[in-house]
Amino acid sequence: MRILIVDDETIVRDSLAAWFRQDGHQVDAAEGGKEALRLVNSSRYDMAFLDIKMPGMDGLELQTRLAAADPELSIVLMTAYASVETAVKAMKDGAYDYIVKPFDPDDLSMLVKRAAEHRSLRAENVRLRKSLDSQAAPPPLLGASPAMQHVVDLVATVSASDSTVLITGESGTGKEVVARAIHAASPRRYNPMVVVNCGALPEGILESELFGHEAGAFTGARARHKGKFESAEGGTVFLDEIGEVSPKVQVELLRVLEEKVVTRLGGTTPVPVDFRIISATNRDLQAAVKEGSFREDLYWRLNVVHVHIPPLRERPEDVPVLAEQFLAKFAQSMSRKPMRFSPEALDALAAYPWPGNVRELQNAIERAVVVGRNEVVRAEDLPLRVTQAPAGGPGPGSLAEAERAHVLSVLEASGWNITRAARVLDVDRVTLYNKIKKYELKKPERAG
Amino acid sequence: MAEAARLAEAVDLLPVGALPPGTLDALAARLSRRVELACHVLPPRELPLRRIPNRDQIDANALLEALEARATSDSRLLVGVAGEDIAVPLFTFVFGLARQGGRACVVSLARTDPSFYGLPPDPALRDERAVAEVLHEMGHLATLEHCPDRGCLMSFAGNIERVDTRGPRFCPSCAERLPHWLRGTTPPGDRV
Repeated sequence: MRILIVDDETIVRDSLAAWFRQDGHQVDAAEGGKEALRLVNSSRYDMAFLDIKMPGMDGLELQTRLAAADPELSIVLMTAYASVETAVKAMKDGAYDYIVKPFDPDDLSMLVKRAAEHRSLRAENVRLRKSLDSQAAPPPLLGASPAMQHVVDLVATVSASDSTVLITGESGTGKEVVARAIHAASPRRYNPMVVVNCGALPEGILESELFGHEAGAFTGARARHKGKFESAEGGTVFLDEIGEVSPKVQVELLRVLEEKVVTRLGGTTPVPVDFRIISATNRDLQAAVKEGSFREDLYWRLNVVHVHIPPLRERPEDVPVLAEQFLAKFAQSMSRKPMRFSPEALDALAAYPWPGNVRELQNAIERAVVVGRNEVVRAEDLPLRVTQAPAGGPGPGSLAEAERAHVLSVLEASGWNITRAARVLDVDRVTLYNKIKKYELKKPERAG
Repeated sequence: MAEAARLAEAVDLLPVGALPPGTLDALAARLSRRVELACHVLPPRELPLRRIPNRDQIDANALLEALEARATSDSRLLVGVAGEDIAVPLFTFVFGLARQGGRACVVSLARTDPSFYGLPPDPALRDERAVAEVLHEMGHLATLEHCPDRGCLMSFAGNIERVDTRGPRFCPSCAERLPHWLRGTTPPGDRV
């Protein structure tokens, strides 16, 4: 630690300095406020010990001025005359501590040790937050189109507020990416973002997932289970596929949104919860309200701010921007040299309507990076459906032959990594295993 | 000065104020088992004992100055042993005091005695703690600072519990920097 001692008495300065030096600290001393300010303005100190009673500028005034010069400085005030009022004022003004002369050696040693730990924790906290900010940062919302720029502007505006947000858009347009961007830029960003796919769970399980349950609430509920609203305490709950929620769960959701309390299944005590809701759907919720399958009151509760993500075919100028981004990402993750698209590949990407939206584009680029042999992505590295006709001369005759050849080339390109090959082919692993069996494909044995 | 401590050939123990008969002889005997130096007890001499105003304590800074003025030999270290409580004005008390690289140090037996804490007197424990304190101060004479290893004899002890728990040994890192006569000591518990 670098310690500054400020006291008008030489004996105090010398004794304290000798004491701290024996503990391995670097020490400077000043006999008054002016000199102390000059030292703090020219060097960095971790801690300063200030005598309260000094001629000219007293310790309390010096404390204020030193804190203004270096807000990170831990300031300890020293006095021979204990006074509660002075101690309270010093602490209110942000002093780290207040000690009365003569000092108990043990107390002084503990004080410095605690201050060092405090500084170290504070520094670690700053470092972790920075690291969290960079690691937890969602992928940037990219797009050159005015429609996407509107989404980006809306996300920036809505992030600062605590309003509920309804995100609509076709499947694959990036609704969860937008939800993550809103959470990451919101004041709740250091708290969890909990994702619930409402369409994937049956009603009973969804209720338990959302609201939690008490032990014995139903068969198999052996222990108390916290729901997603409780788990997201202070953060954001993202309800994906909100349009699929049953009428019963809609009522319960409405109550949670209005009262900000949840009652676990099988429980009787309401638990206060603090969360923000972002929901998303690819359905037309207004139409669902009209036909009576979605509650109007819940619709308006969820839809305070509406963010619509247009399909990719309505914003073709975004395709090259996104494609370049995905290409750089996958090339890096697969330890490839920086890659680029051939003009033909770019033409093919621009001409294709992308019914699966950004997700389909992302998969196509990942496949191209896996299949492509050099630094330039060619049109033939893209899926057949994108290029319409395979390049490089006539291909195999029957559909089965074409499928066999394609599956084999993807497997070889991915080094027979089944997970990766299945993702590129846009099929699940079981389907891929079935194809391998059907076409009697065999992984080549390694020599040596 | 640091070189003087390194080249020391003997340690002189000087009583500061009145001490029960035989106290320093017992202390010298214990100390001589821990340092490879001859330990002598000096006859009482007149020392200017300054007291801290309004506190029943000897000013350890003033006492150390007086001892350093008397430590005239380049090859002998001088240890003042006080029966009374000692302190520097800024602190409520000190167990001992030395300047890094000096040739004299001072320790007090007042707080090493269990009777100070309301327990039955125990001269053997008092002297064992005092020897540990002398060795700690000698570490400072050999230019060592306080050690962050809480098990090392050079770690700071601000209360008697820490004196007892920090142990009787120097850590390997401190031992490496000590003069041979202080390094090769055997704590009593280690003797066969």
